[in-house]
Amino acid sequence: MELNTELLVFAGSLAAIFLLAGLARGLRLGRDPVLASEAEAARWAGEVHDGFLPSRTALDADGKGALLEDASGRLMVLKPHGGHFAGRILDGTARAEDAQGKLQIISGERRFGTVTLQLENAQDWASAINALRDTCDA
Amino acid sequence: MPDFSPTQYAVPFFVVAVLAEMIWARFKAREAYEPKDTLISLAFGLGSTVAGGLLGGFAAFVFLEAYQYRVFDLGPEWWAVWWAWPLCFVLDDLKYYWVHRAGHRIRWMWAAHVNHHSSQHYNLSTALRQSWTGSLTFGMLFAVPLILLGFHPAMIAIAGGFNLIYQFWIHTEAIDRMPRWFEAVMNTPSHHRVHHATNPRYLDRNYAGVFIIWDKMFGTFEAETDEETIRYGIIKQLGSFNLLWAVFHEWIGMLSDIARAPWQHKLSYLLREPGWTHDNSRDTSDTIRARWLARQDSAASNSVPDKNAIAKSAKPA
Repeated sequence: MELNTELLVFAGSLAAIFLLAGLARGLRLGRDPVLASEAEAARWAGEVHDGFLPSRTALDADGKGALLEDASGRLMVLKPHGGHFAGRILDGTARAEDAQGKLQIISGERRFGTVTLQLENAQDWASAINALRDTCDA
Repeated sequence: MPDFSPTQYAVPFFVVAVLAEMIWARFKAREAYEPKDTLISLAFGLGSTVAGGLLGGFAAFVFLEAYQYRVFDLGPEWWAVWWAWPLCFVLDDLKYYWVHRAGHRIRWMWAAHVNHHSSQHYNLSTALRQSWTGSLTFGMLFAVPLILLGFHPAMIAIAGGFNLIYQFWIHTEAIDRMPRWFEAVMNTPSHHRVHHATNPRYLDRNYAGVFIIWDKMFGTFEAETDEETIRYGIIKQLGSFNLLWAVFHEWIGMLSDIARAPWQHKLSYLLREPGWTHDNSRDTSDTIRARWLARQDSAASNSVPDKNAIAKSAKPA
């Protein structure tokens, strides 16, 4: 294929990609994932890390994520990702801070990013997350 | 020599099929698609054709050199030898099984193949989520035995193209099961859903391209069960729709691990299974499955009725 033809095919393919992705949006495909219960959060946590059994769970007020702790003290954050949830077990690189009444959890992994949750007992959770750094430094 | 690329001709069919599945999803399962995920999958597809064009030349050079040393010669008009085509297709599919298996069991190969598994969705657009970096692995060497047997690299490329086209339609949740005879021999949506699943029971199973018989022969077959909802993607879901991160994240992770590892372990981070660490700090698919099996055994033993319950309840005389 000549270069011009190749460029034309590339441009056509690119246009088709945007057309299909736009159509997916136009057809309102996908879903807005919401955690309706602690059991649901526990199920997602088990998917993030097989065998993770939360002993304590805090759901975001709008169901847009959760913080969970298991019996061994491991902390996990869940956040919506497309139509699903994705999560991370937090380590010493994570930290938490109060942001206008909401808890901002910096996962410590740049691409996973920051998760903002509205929780009860947010201060307790923030302390637990920030203590991970102390454990790591010790 | 025929100048023919079957995948090029299949592109319009891919577009129409994705469109049809979207319409199906609109009425039956809206969650089957997610616009951003679809955009990334399709961009992967386009990028892989560009990467193939830019980096594929080296593989073509190696193949044509290897062809000089072929054991059997199909003659100057090798494309006219009709029986060579189906034979090449079957042997190429066997080759695909092993290259695919290596793609899951060797981290260097996984760094390129993980792209195909990085979506938490499973639909026809996922099929187009092809690697950009396959040429940076040693995957092409798996084709060398076929070339040495006497199959021309162009014949293998055409067979591989048809293999890829076949695999497109099996990336769907819209089809439940095919007829039993078909499920027994061919790779199907059901078998391939298992392959894309992260449920412990399904990890590293069903590597087949076209014929599922290879998994049955080599002990990696797992049938889909209706008892468990499949979850798709990778063990550590990306949690990001950044295309370049999706393409290169495992390369970055692997090279960082190699850089940090003690000298005696560096090669293992390249050649051992994904998740392997010298200090056992991460999970591999084997450890996840073993943990899951232990939980199943434990649950089963707890639920076994005590066969000597009467004797236990009886008071000693």
